[in-house]
Amino acid sequence: MPHLVIDRLSANYGTAPVLQDVSLSVERGEIVSIIGPSGSGKSTLLRVLTGLLKPHAGVVHVAGTQIDYGSAAALRKVRDRFAVVFQQYNLFQNMTALRNVTIAPTIVKKRDAGEVEREARALLEKVGLSHRIEAYPDELSGGQQQRVAIARALALKPEILLLDEVTSALDPELVAEVLDTIRVLAAEGMTMLIVSHEMGFVREISSKVVFMADGKVVEVGPPSQIFDAPQTERCADFVRRILRH
Amino acid sequence: MSYTLQYGQVTPYLGYLAGGAWLALQLAAIAFVIGWAIGLVCASVLEYGPRPLRWLVKAYVIFFLNTPLLVQIFFLYFALPDWGIVLGSYQAVLLGMAINAGAYLTEIQRAGFRSIRKAEVEAAETLGFSRLQIIRYVVLPHIAKVLFPPLSNQYIILTMTTSIAAIFGVEELTGRTYNINAQTFRSFEIFSIAALYYIALTLVASAALYAVGRYFFRIKGRVF
Repeated sequence: MPHLVIDRLSANYGTAPVLQDVSLSVERGEIVSIIGPSGSGKSTLLRVLTGLLKPHAGVVHVAGTQIDYGSAAALRKVRDRFAVVFQQYNLFQNMTALRNVTIAPTIVKKRDAGEVEREARALLEKVGLSHRIEAYPDELSGGQQQRVAIARALALKPEILLLDEVTSALDPELVAEVLDTIRVLAAEGMTMLIVSHEMGFVREISSKVVFMADGKVVEVGPPSQIFDAPQTERCADFVRRILRH
Repeated sequence: MSYTLQYGQVTPYLGYLAGGAWLALQLAAIAFVIGWAIGLVCASVLEYGPRPLRWLVKAYVIFFLNTPLLVQIFFLYFALPDWGIVLGSYQAVLLGMAINAGAYLTEIQRAGFRSIRKAEVEAAETLGFSRLQIIRYVVLPHIAKVLFPPLSNQYIILTMTTSIAAIFGVEELTGRTYNINAQTFRSFEIFSIAALYYIALTLVASAALYAVGRYFFRIKGRVF
């Protein structure tokens, strides 16, 4: 059974359709990347999955269970199945790195503070920040903040990690440290859905690449197909333009 | 320059002046707290309230920001009795200062509301925070931090503004200084001492606010 099944998902911003009949399935431990021009609905898809934007039609199954996006209470149950890392990190500025990681398990899951802290320290060590746990976000570099954000997302032990252009806001020399962190997670078998413009990275890490345009899935295939032998004119066009740089 | 400084003549009044300083401190603190509350309510209305109420608040802010405080207090003190509302001089000054500060603090606090980072709120949502938890752990700490420096400034300004009370015969620091001047004619001495008292009032407040800001909000600034 696939880990994540998205079936004919549609969503609107106001009356404008931003996702149309998007279907996709992701196996457990699989890494699927979504590429496409801006405004193609990549980030919107992640927003819908996490419940930040209500779907207009379609269903989502995680490990065979349908996700109910209807009510706030049902939605809160979705939250620990998906964790999302944002382009702009979105760390809580008034909290230390450690507190950013511990707060959700402590106040949302009501878990034991000591145990949560031990786990958080381990997570921060994993992302290479054990020496900066008492630092506040504004004292950290972009790459460091993004790694804290990854640790924060992992603290709720999500089943599926959603990465929304996590390196797009970073200076080029900081991109590598974040990508390395994602590689570690990939090696551990975390199921991931990645929206990214780092084509080299996408090609290296993904088992499947989804090309989206105008809110629709245009082409899905292994990286070798999407990058070397795209089947659709639209995808070929995009790849040609992107890889020229 | 044939004037000889004689601070000895005014030293007996230091305690009397300190009492005035205490009264100034009270006026500033009470006016600030009331103004802060008015500002909080009005800022909430401006941001989230229904349109007619927003207009009302807008009119209040425009009116009080664009007329002099002194005139506002004159109005409260001399015009309100025509409608049967008689305020003592202390009450009129306090009320005037509070309403006036309220208008300034409305604008300041509205800016605080505006500064809420939607992205942080969304991050909290995706982590499963409830609405109340978002307000308590994300929104309020952020607003408090953003507002702390301008609110502190406003308090310091209010401390200086209390001197207006002297015009209405309230014997706060300036009023008492004026009294002593009338008795001793040691103008330079007594007004310079009054200045030191004001500086002490604001310095102590600044240092205290600095400590609070640093401890609670990690605001790194300097008192001077």
